[in-house]
Amino acid sequence: MGEVIVITSGKGGVGKTTTTANIGAGLSKFDKKVVVIDTDLGLRNLDVVMGLENLIVYNLVDVIEGSCRLKQALIRDKRYENLYLLPSAQTKDKSAISPGQMKKLTSELKEEFDYILLDCPAGIEQGFQNAIAGADRAIVVTTPEVSAIRDADRIIGLLEHNQMKKIDLIINRIRMDMVKRGDMMSVDDVTEILSVPLIGALPDDEKVVIGTNQGEPVVGIDSKAGQAYMNICKRILGIEVPFLDLDAGNGLFSKLSHIFKKD
Amino acid sequence: MLKKSSVVIAKDRLKALVVSDRVSCIPGAYENICRELYESLSKYIELTEENFQVEFKRTQVIITFTGEET
Repeated sequence: MGEVIVITSGKGGVGKTTTTANIGAGLSKFDKKVVVIDTDLGLRNLDVVMGLENLIVYNLVDVIEGSCRLKQALIRDKRYENLYLLPSAQTKDKSAISPGQMKKLTSELKEEFDYILLDCPAGIEQGFQNAIAGADRAIVVTTPEVSAIRDADRIIGLLEHNQMKKIDLIINRIRMDMVKRGDMMSVDDVTEILSVPLIGALPDDEKVVIGTNQGEPVVGIDSKAGQAYMNICKRILGIEVPFLDLDAGNGLFSKLSHIFKKD
Repeated sequence: MLKKSSVVIAKDRLKALVVSDRVSCIPGAYENICRELYESLSKYIELTEENFQVEFKRTQVIITFTGEET
């Protein structure tokens, strides 16, 4: 029986889709059968981030409306043996599906897949309600900015209100140089405010931008973000791994500079 | 003197924002709630302002006070 994980944030542009793609690809490397679902109706994106945009025939709405069979709409990612994508519809809007229909679909997928990852749209309207309906647990993505953290706090409140059993936090795009000079909130600052368990902290890594340009996940590649995504996958699988040292520089100066950090 | 780092400002702003979002009240209501809770409770319980603390979680308000010392 598989597990359904919704990846959500409230605010747009913090990295939900990239996170979904990379966790999906990462989990499949551990021999898990994974399907990633783009639930953002009308603003399809997960397919592009994964580089599978040219392979779409049917989509999520087609499956729900019964215009095709579930198997026909699933796109297999050839680079990862156990990874499948169920793309969103580009021409429909949020009202095309209901939370009940999503629940039915995810429970069907649970029979066949180990992990079902739902890429949630931004906002707290019906798209959000659809995405969380069938989820067993949630991963909230935020960045160390006031607006993103505020929205994350609201989303966590809504998830708790909807009896979400497990909620974990990913902090994305951390710049250690700014943290050190007191101009960016640290991992500890953010987790203290949001008070949910941390499952991953990602540096602002240009490899992620390059990967998205090429339609290739970065999970597992030799970079800080690649390693951090891999660690998140391990934690999802229940393996305990220490948090990565996001500090890129290991020289004497960077070791000393934290002493002069402002309060 | 060192200027207040922008992180300190961000955290102060966020803490106030998050409380008013969590209980959907006007910004600044936090102070009033704390004061009124203190006044009501002190009618029945011996309190001092130093050991009285109100914390807003998402689904609960936690009132902490250190009890009588034995």
